[in-house]
Amino acid sequence: MTNPTYSTDGSTNRDWLDGLLEADGADARSSYVADGGFTARVMQALPVRLTLPAWRTPAVAALWIMALAGISFALPGAVLDIAREMYRLLGAHPVSLSGMVGALLAAGALTWSAAAYALRTSE
Amino acid sequence: MASSEVPDAQLIARALVGDDRHAFAELVRRHQSTVRACLRKLTAGNHALADDLSQETFVLAWRNLKSFRQEARFSTWLYRIATNCWLADARKRKEELLGDRDDQVADDDGNAVESGQVHGDHARGATLKIDLERAMAVLTEGERAAIVQCYHNDLTHEEAAYVLDCPVGTVKTHVLRGKQKLKLALAAWAPDGAK
Repeated sequence: MTNPTYSTDGSTNRDWLDGLLEADGADARSSYVADGGFTARVMQALPVRLTLPAWRTPAVAALWIMALAGISFALPGAVLDIAREMYRLLGAHPVSLSGMVGALLAAGALTWSAAAYALRTSE
Repeated sequence: MASSEVPDAQLIARALVGDDRHAFAELVRRHQSTVRACLRKLTAGNHALADDLSQETFVLAWRNLKSFRQEARFSTWLYRIATNCWLADARKRKEELLGDRDDQVADDDGNAVESGQVHGDHARGATLKIDLERAMAVLTEGERAAIVQCYHNDLTHEEAAYVLDCPVGTVKTHVLRGKQKLKLALAAWAPDGAK
């Protein structure tokens, strides 16, 4: 037993109750509680964890890239028009770097919050 | 733990990174006995309640495995969750039977003297066990938890403080006060010189 009993003055002393509690503890530790299906019950009760698999992020990014590449291949004129209009818009109303970063962060936060909410409610 | 066994840390990593339920099942199998025994002690021998709380403990461990920072042994972390589950349950029930148990312990003290004198060593040991269990029931939640962690689970005061989420000094105080109450409740079992 590693726990000496401390008296109020800080000194250590041991008495009959220490011996009794230690013996009871040692006895309990030496006796094994049989599983009896306990582990199986716990495993059945485990919820599905919210964590995403490691491959999900690169897979989603690859899908987005493939989708954008497909659109630009199928509708090259439309993609060029959109890019040209975007360039003109940005040229007419110059946006600061901090403003762009702020907008990107806000969009990212909104996207991830929506994704987390959707995952949570679908569980 | 046998040397051929996969270490807890490795099983935890597998359960975390690969969402490996088999690894977690092995952890449950490995620690169920100590967690259930600890909760049986905390619930003063109520096996059904202890098993319910043990199941809750492992489910919470699974949910919060990410927050286990390895600053303590896995078993100590499980004791912490188990103690919190028991405390939450005990507070919910408000220890409605406490008054009855007080009377019971008082009655049993009388019986213990008698049985201790009449029966042999084996019966005497069994009776003492029952008396100790009942005497534990009269302690406050903090006192009982501190005594169980320090004596039953053989934790150091520092480890018990981690489990109970309180300062080491508080653990020592709980142990001292708990022991004083136990001495009163188990006075009949004290050796002649200590009475």
